[in-house]
Amino acid sequence: MLAGVPCQIWIHSSRYTTCDLWADYKPNDNTTEFMMDRKQCIVKLLVQPSRGLVDEKFIILVQKAPPGYQLTIHALHKCEDGHSWEAFGHYTADTTGTVNVSEDPSLGGTYSGVEQMGLLWSLRPVPGSKPGLRLRKMNVQIPMEVTISVYQGHQTEGFMDQVPLASVVVERWYMAPGVRRIPITEDGLTATLFLPPGPGPSPGLLDLWGGGGQLVEYRASLLASHGIASLALDYLTPKITKQTGKMVDLQYFEKAYKVLEQHPQVNGSRIGMLGLSFGTSITFNMAVYSKVMKLRCAVCISGSHVQPVNGSMEEMLMNLYRNPDRFHFNKDNEVISRAMLLPIPTEPSLKVDMGRLKCPLLLVLGEDDQSWPVTESAMDIKEMMEQAGNSHLLTVLSYPNAGHLIEPPYTPHARATLFRNLATQEKVMVLWGGETVAHSHAQEDAWRKLLVFLKENLYSGTNSGATLLSHL
Amino acid sequence: MVRAHLSVTTIRQLIEMKMSTCSGVHRSLACLHRAVGGVRWKSSFRQAPLLTAAPVRSLIDEQISITGRFLPPDSPVTVRARMHSEEGDLWESFAHYNTTADGTVNLTQDHSVGGSYLGCEPMGLFWALQPAPGAREGLRLRKMNVETPIVMLMSLLEGHVSPSEGPSTELAVVTTERWYMAPGVKRIEIRQNGVVGTLFLPPGPGPFPAVLDLWGMGGGLVEYRSALFASRGYASLSLAYIGHKELPGPQNTMNVGDSYFKSAFQLLEDHPQVDGSRIGIMGLSFGVYLTLRIAINLGVKPSCLICVNGPVGSTLKLIDPEGRSSNFESEQKYWTYDDQGYVSFKAVSLPANIVPASIVKVERLTCPLMYIVGEDDLSSSAIENANLIEETLSAAGKSQLFTRLSYPGAGHLIEPPYTPNARISLWSVKPKKVMTLWGGHTAPHAAAQEDSWKKILDFMECHLRR
Repeated sequence: MLAGVPCQIWIHSSRYTTCDLWADYKPNDNTTEFMMDRKQCIVKLLVQPSRGLVDEKFIILVQKAPPGYQLTIHALHKCEDGHSWEAFGHYTADTTGTVNVSEDPSLGGTYSGVEQMGLLWSLRPVPGSKPGLRLRKMNVQIPMEVTISVYQGHQTEGFMDQVPLASVVVERWYMAPGVRRIPITEDGLTATLFLPPGPGPSPGLLDLWGGGGQLVEYRASLLASHGIASLALDYLTPKITKQTGKMVDLQYFEKAYKVLEQHPQVNGSRIGMLGLSFGTSITFNMAVYSKVMKLRCAVCISGSHVQPVNGSMEEMLMNLYRNPDRFHFNKDNEVISRAMLLPIPTEPSLKVDMGRLKCPLLLVLGEDDQSWPVTESAMDIKEMMEQAGNSHLLTVLSYPNAGHLIEPPYTPHARATLFRNLATQEKVMVLWGGETVAHSHAQEDAWRKLLVFLKENLYSGTNSGATLLSHL
Repeated sequence: MVRAHLSVTTIRQLIEMKMSTCSGVHRSLACLHRAVGGVRWKSSFRQAPLLTAAPVRSLIDEQISITGRFLPPDSPVTVRARMHSEEGDLWESFAHYNTTADGTVNLTQDHSVGGSYLGCEPMGLFWALQPAPGAREGLRLRKMNVETPIVMLMSLLEGHVSPSEGPSTELAVVTTERWYMAPGVKRIEIRQNGVVGTLFLPPGPGPFPAVLDLWGMGGGLVEYRSALFASRGYASLSLAYIGHKELPGPQNTMNVGDSYFKSAFQLLEDHPQVDGSRIGIMGLSFGVYLTLRIAINLGVKPSCLICVNGPVGSTLKLIDPEGRSSNFESEQKYWTYDDQGYVSFKAVSLPANIVPASIVKVERLTCPLMYIVGEDDLSSSAIENANLIEETLSAAGKSQLFTRLSYPGAGHLIEPPYTPNARISLWSVKPKKVMTLWGGHTAPHAAAQEDSWKKILDFMECHLRR
């Protein structure tokens, strides 16, 4: 089942031999002395691969436990800003003393049921952490490290005060080997280009995040790991805005497109665009109206086409906040902003004319999105395109109970996080929505389909030696 | 601006709004889902050739799966691997395959029909690496910095080509990394109690069984085998004893003796994360003699010993009872030269030529010993020494302690698997350039490394964990 020789880490966590333990341990013994005793049993813990890409699945195997033994598999991650995140599942070893996380159900913990990757997507800040944290990797050149441990019994707390039965470290990488990271500063841009390995040329992609700003690289680096030269663009907090105090205009995005188009290792006739949240506002606009961008396809995640179409980027951003009474706080003081663009206008100047779209479009949305009116927007887009006769270009992925932050797979779900609103310069607790299990499954499914969509639309046609992929 | 006062009215509005939004949304979701249903998720485009390595980041001793897909059916292709050593030399390997009827090539099941290796060899591209044409003579591929991976560029080329023949059409590439350290393994420089070494600790709470890791007369501090042991769950101490600037005295003599090796063993025993009752010793070449000497003469109690191609006594003239020795070049009478001027040290370690007083009293052995022989070892008399040890133990009624692994076609440098063998390499440059013969033929040597490594780990499992 496992490819190659598994990486096995044995931990002998006690000075006692197995013989002593087997003689003492009776599976149906109701006494708890064994569990509390310093005599711990030896288990074998194996995670394969020990170094994987962030969107790759891993296999976690516990072996050599006593049959029927209750144990907890625990994941611990210390993120870049120093906060600790944990997840855990309760398992019972079978008659051969084995637990296989991809086949056996978790009986409780931060996830339940058969969930091969539950230990990652159900990660949450450890007790005592400040509220509203979000897990995001900013340095993609070094991997995310997760410590996977086995503890005896079904436990829910106090892991850090105990010695595990076994423990391994797993690395989760955002960049495949050979992917090159190139900072882009020409033309006043603040961006990073990720090139797949090989001589190229590769198809290209402009990658936009949302209203939180910053230069967020992890999705672009992952896409490059799948063979697409991707440019992560900071458009809300770029150096030029910090220096001049002025927000960029729409030409900024066209400059970014040109950087991709003219790059010797990018196939300039095969460029797509991907946006999330406010990034979709730009993507919709560019896809339909830009005279410079000739996009082969567009992907819009958790967004809307509603905007002042002849406005500047700043006007598009401020348009979101023009009606303060459309923002509501729930009982937990989390802001729900989805009504900010409702109702969907009928006036043409207030939304992108999707009937004029000429390239394939993939819409991804979570039906429990509390932050943007994604479902209403998608329905309106569909209607516009059906009326105009270009709806064959449209594909919609709509996920029940998923929220706004549809991220690469196994990214921990957070229903609400602290968000610095760049338009208002305020930090608020924003309700993104989503129920963790459904949201996590949605992320996995959406990513897979997004990759197929991009490859199908960016690679179609034959080539020999013209397109080289680094694949996982 | 953004804030709204939390009032009953607002909450009611919110609930109503949410509900109406929901019902409106639910009614129309059916339409949306129909849009989803209309999607064809089967790719209809002709996919470009793809080369994959799984896992793409792996440990040095892990087998990986290399496959090419979306290739023309029943067609000749070449798979090529390239890497740069730490010294900057280019190493490469290649193999010729014919794709299947569905346009794939899979190195775990298909047969190479030409190139650096033949037959079904999933890891052939790794162990058959050779210096590229035009490279310097006498190279040996060794990773001295174990904290970074070996980066290998794999390519799929059209047709059956040789890299040196000129340009070829590259169909697909993949970059793969090979690591000596598993995630979480800690590397700790040891400079205490006079001991010069590097300790590798596995991740996890410990305590761990441990290994004292000894190399040969080449000297320095060679870490990669210890790094791998730690990646397999054993604390491992690589120990320097000759040819290291932080050791006392001239670098070409062994200026440390019994007390040094005892300190090293005790350092492991006393380490809070080591199970002091489960320590093994491994030695290659001259390290075999040291392994035996430590186990038998010094009053320490290792749980098992692993010896690879080395002598039962010192091949250096001893200068004191502590075991300190003169330099290797001082005694050349047993050196032999072949017709190309390459030197073989093999006769130096013939039992008859070993310093008699230094021969370790193997009959006093109290723990299991595994002795690994490369039958084409041109640098040491491994077979004769193995025989001597076996006879001595047998005479002492201790043959149950002895295990021999013997590999035809394997040379002196039986190292961790999937790494290339050096049949000869540069030994010294002063007073003149000398190449030394290690022996071993590429394919059988690779087989020996793969098999012996598994057996070494099983042996350690058996004697250091149970």
